[in-house]
Amino acid sequence: MQTFGSASQLRFLIIEDDERTANYIRNGMAELGHFAEFLSDGRDGLMRAVSEPYDAIVLDRMLPGLDGMSIVKALRATQHDTPVLFLTAIAGLDDRVEGLEAGGDDYLVKPFAFSELMARLSALARRPPTRAEKTTLVVADLELDLVKRTCNRAGQQIELLPREFALLEYLMRNEGRIVTKTMLLERVWDFHFDPETSVVETQISRLRAKIDRRFEKPLLQTLRNIGYTLNAR
Amino acid sequence: MHVRLLDSTPFRISILLGALFLTSTMVAGIFAWRLTAAELSLRLDDSIREEAQVIGQTYGDTDLTDLRDSVLSHVDATVGHRRVYLLRSSAGEVLAGNIPRANVPVGWSLVDGAMLGLASGTSYRVFSSAVDGNPLLVGASLQENDAVSQVLLNSLLLAGGLLSASVVALGAFFAFRGQRRLVEITTAMRRVGQGDLTARVPVSRRQDDIDRVAQQVNVAIERLATLVEGMRQVTVDIAHDLKTPLNRLAITVREAGTMAEGTEIEAMLAVAEEEIDDVSRTFDALLRIAQVEAGSRRSRFAAVDLTGILRQMGELYGDVAEGRGQQVTVDVSTDFLRIRGDRELLTQMFANLVENALKHGGENAKIAIGATAATGPAVVEISDNGPGIPEDEREAVFRRFYRVERSRTTPGTGLGLSLVKAIADLHGASLSLQDNYPGLRVVITFPMGSAS
Repeated sequence: MQTFGSASQLRFLIIEDDERTANYIRNGMAELGHFAEFLSDGRDGLMRAVSEPYDAIVLDRMLPGLDGMSIVKALRATQHDTPVLFLTAIAGLDDRVEGLEAGGDDYLVKPFAFSELMARLSALARRPPTRAEKTTLVVADLELDLVKRTCNRAGQQIELLPREFALLEYLMRNEGRIVTKTMLLERVWDFHFDPETSVVETQISRLRAKIDRRFEKPLLQTLRNIGYTLNAR
Repeated sequence: MHVRLLDSTPFRISILLGALFLTSTMVAGIFAWRLTAAELSLRLDDSIREEAQVIGQTYGDTDLTDLRDSVLSHVDATVGHRRVYLLRSSAGEVLAGNIPRANVPVGWSLVDGAMLGLASGTSYRVFSSAVDGNPLLVGASLQENDAVSQVLLNSLLLAGGLLSASVVALGAFFAFRGQRRLVEITTAMRRVGQGDLTARVPVSRRQDDIDRVAQQVNVAIERLATLVEGMRQVTVDIAHDLKTPLNRLAITVREAGTMAEGTEIEAMLAVAEEEIDDVSRTFDALLRIAQVEAGSRRSRFAAVDLTGILRQMGELYGDVAEGRGQQVTVDVSTDFLRIRGDRELLTQMFANLVENALKHGGENAKIAIGATAATGPAVVEISDNGPGIPEDEREAVFRRFYRVERSRTTPGTGLGLSLVKAIADLHGASLSLQDNYPGLRVVITFPMGSAS
């Protein structure tokens, strides 16, 4: 878990009626040095969410008092834009779409790995409030020109296929953060299911061969059983 | 709402009725017209004969003067040549009359005006007799009679035409109204078929037969909606009550794994975690199939370009295949293959099929993805050169948890093809498994007109 090393302490609100799950998340977050608060009732959760600042909210879909969907709608209706990650038992099709349409930012189905939850929360929480559109992404000596669709590292031109370009763009935008396999599948290829073959691994290894193989310092790292990270360190 | 009038039963009936009405009016009219015409000519003959007799009676013995005067007074009484008279002496000299000559036989005849020294074109009914050897001709123009029967005929035609037109128009009105209401029922049922259970058929206050049908349809939809909602609720409850303890179990196993780090137990717990993931995956897949089958996803259908999805499949799985010594090629003959559908589900459907081919196609499998839409429906084919599926098992593979004997040992939920089938059904597409000599060829035919 050292991979989530806290550059800064984050504040999370967990609204979840299953105490076991909530404690698991809270303990994991505390171990990483983050602050996490836990409420099991929907109404209490909403009151807390509007009265105190949080970096992100973990919200169960089914709650006593007030359900998750209503909480998000109430938050968005009152101009509270705290990122919300839905946690749900139901891996339904419509549930995800409805959750996102109501104003949720991400969606995770139980049972989940803590690393997956944390990767998604980090991506949400550290999202800059106003995203200035950059035309060139830079990580160490790797440069990606989003307008000319070109890539070069240490002055050497690297030819990328469109699918490799899209993958690298996502990784560079999330520089220093962990991105999981499912995050890549959803965000880069719009795959909302678990492929049974090594689609992600294959694309990562092809990309790695192009951007890292001939260079001294590897940028793209694999975190076993967790995901990947593109890091300048 | 497009109403095709000619397809409507009431309109057809009204057309038929209109035609029947027109025919019977015409037959009756022509009959009446003929009768009237006959009666008119009969009366004309009577009056001609009567006049001839009246004139004849004025004849005293050998005195032609009275006879002449009588003819002259008749000539005076007539307007133009509506009536014609000609009295000649036995020697052939014209004594009185309003026509110069008469080349007609004795008795009744029907002659043209020219025969009487008048303009031709008008017919005359004439009676030629002799009063003591002096030929007397009395006749009448048929113009009047003809005009009367013409008026009669015209009014009959007009009345018949008007009546038939009104019958057809009235029929069209009722047909249109009836059919519009049938279209309302059709529209509602189509929406229900697409998974929108909020659709209802409007019921009017007339309480006619269609209203009774509409009410029953609404009752049926209501009942269906209740059942579907109940089922959805049960599914959600089961999902929640099953997934929550499963999640706790997963948490416990993970925490135990952290505590047992570096021991043999850690490896065993890792296996347990895998098993939990498998159970969860199977459960999620079942839920997904059930949701696809419920059809509510149709309300989110949008225009989707199949070639884009297929090319992406070719690229991503082409790379995967390369690493396994296999091959995936894409041959799409058109630039666009637009259908109405669900991009996410279509992507999963094609991915499932390509992954199936990769998994079961063997070491050197060559997988071909093809699509055509020459003029007809969009057809997508995914074929491999692997062992294929025996013909008698091709239907069964769509069943949940069914696995072909040979592939029992390969990992998988046994739900992949069930989901493929459910997604194809959702799109109204037909799915057929064929022999690729050797291998399996999956052909998906999207319905005509699904493009937009």
